[in-house]
Amino acid sequence: MTGKRLVLSTAVFAAIFGLTIGVRAQSPRAPLPDWTGVWAMQGNTVFDRASVQPPTGRAGEPGVRESPPYTDEWEARYRRNIELVRQGKFPDPVSTCGTPHGFPRIMNVPDVYEFAVTPTAVYVIAENGPNVLRIYTDGRKHPATEDLWPTYNGASVGHWEGETLVFTTISLKGSTDNDVIVDRTGLVLSDASRATTRLRKIDEKTMEAEIVLEDAKALKSPWKVTKRYVKQPPGTWAWDYACAENNRNPIDSSGRTLTLGPDGKVLDK
Amino acid sequence: MNRLTRYAIAVIVAMSLAVPVLAHHSASMFDDAKVLEKKATVKELQWTNPHIWLQVVIEENGTKTEWSLEGGSPNTLSRQGWRATTFKAGDVVTVRFNPMRDGSAAGLFIGAKFDADGKAIGRWQ
Repeated sequence: MTGKRLVLSTAVFAAIFGLTIGVRAQSPRAPLPDWTGVWAMQGNTVFDRASVQPPTGRAGEPGVRESPPYTDEWEARYRRNIELVRQGKFPDPVSTCGTPHGFPRIMNVPDVYEFAVTPTAVYVIAENGPNVLRIYTDGRKHPATEDLWPTYNGASVGHWEGETLVFTTISLKGSTDNDVIVDRTGLVLSDASRATTRLRKIDEKTMEAEIVLEDAKALKSPWKVTKRYVKQPPGTWAWDYACAENNRNPIDSSGRTLTLGPDGKVLDK
Repeated sequence: MNRLTRYAIAVIVAMSLAVPVLAHHSASMFDDAKVLEKKATVKELQWTNPHIWLQVVIEENGTKTEWSLEGGSPNTLSRQGWRATTFKAGDVVTVRFNPMRDGSAAGLFIGAKFDADGKAIGRWQ
């Protein structure tokens, strides 16, 4: 091969290869799903409604419990919390109007949700709180361990599998002293918890989040919980939610949730 | 009635039948096994987050007492048809609520029926 031919061949190869790379880089992905609208969680705020006992039990009622695959140590801790619920001394940490619900509880709150889908991220916006879960889908990886610190909602990255968003959440704060809870039955997880969530629309009126929790400290095996959200009528509004606007339910030093009168004085006897 | 309207009505009916949700704190102070029904005069509706509060005056045995009745968030209640003006000072109503376990003058709002026109709001079957 002469030098001229070699240069020409190399140029042609480079052009074709470069073109291929360019096409790949610019190839459009499947259209993003339409998750517009306002959605409300189906059912009450028991996190794992598949295992709750009694089946009609509501979070915060005495004796209501679920069955996560807790280790013995964390099962004992759950039982202590259930007893505190019975005594009316298991305060909800969000009653202070100062901290977020945290993940996975953010997927388990009343009022309504919006799911904002963008080409680089999905935002789960919970009216209650309000709380925002950011899920980056731009191809980034989780930050290195030394670049993370435990937070209420942790760090989430995800990718699309068809119209299903699959995301993993790490670096969660977990519960130190019931300062972060999963629900008011007394459910808590540790700072070793992490989750893989599959979020998708299963029909035009229903979103589903299949959450698989792992926790090397608190759980013996992965715990799968499914939450569903029902689409609200077209034109439904999600509103501002300012928790501290008129919070008449502070918590006293014993953990009891108080009730204040309109003058700010404690009504409880 | 088109499908959309039927769907909207179904959602509103389902929500109006729902058990009151206290979104941000334990409801253990309320006795959900007990329902009180009282004639009352509205003093004020505090249309605020995280919960609305209906302040009413209840007269019993010649004594007038102000009661604080807690409801859901204005956000959710507005989607169920409530408005900030739903209750006005001076409205005479019959109210149902779960009272405090300790007997103090407060409760968890369930429903109310207005004397003036017989209309009800909340859970009132």
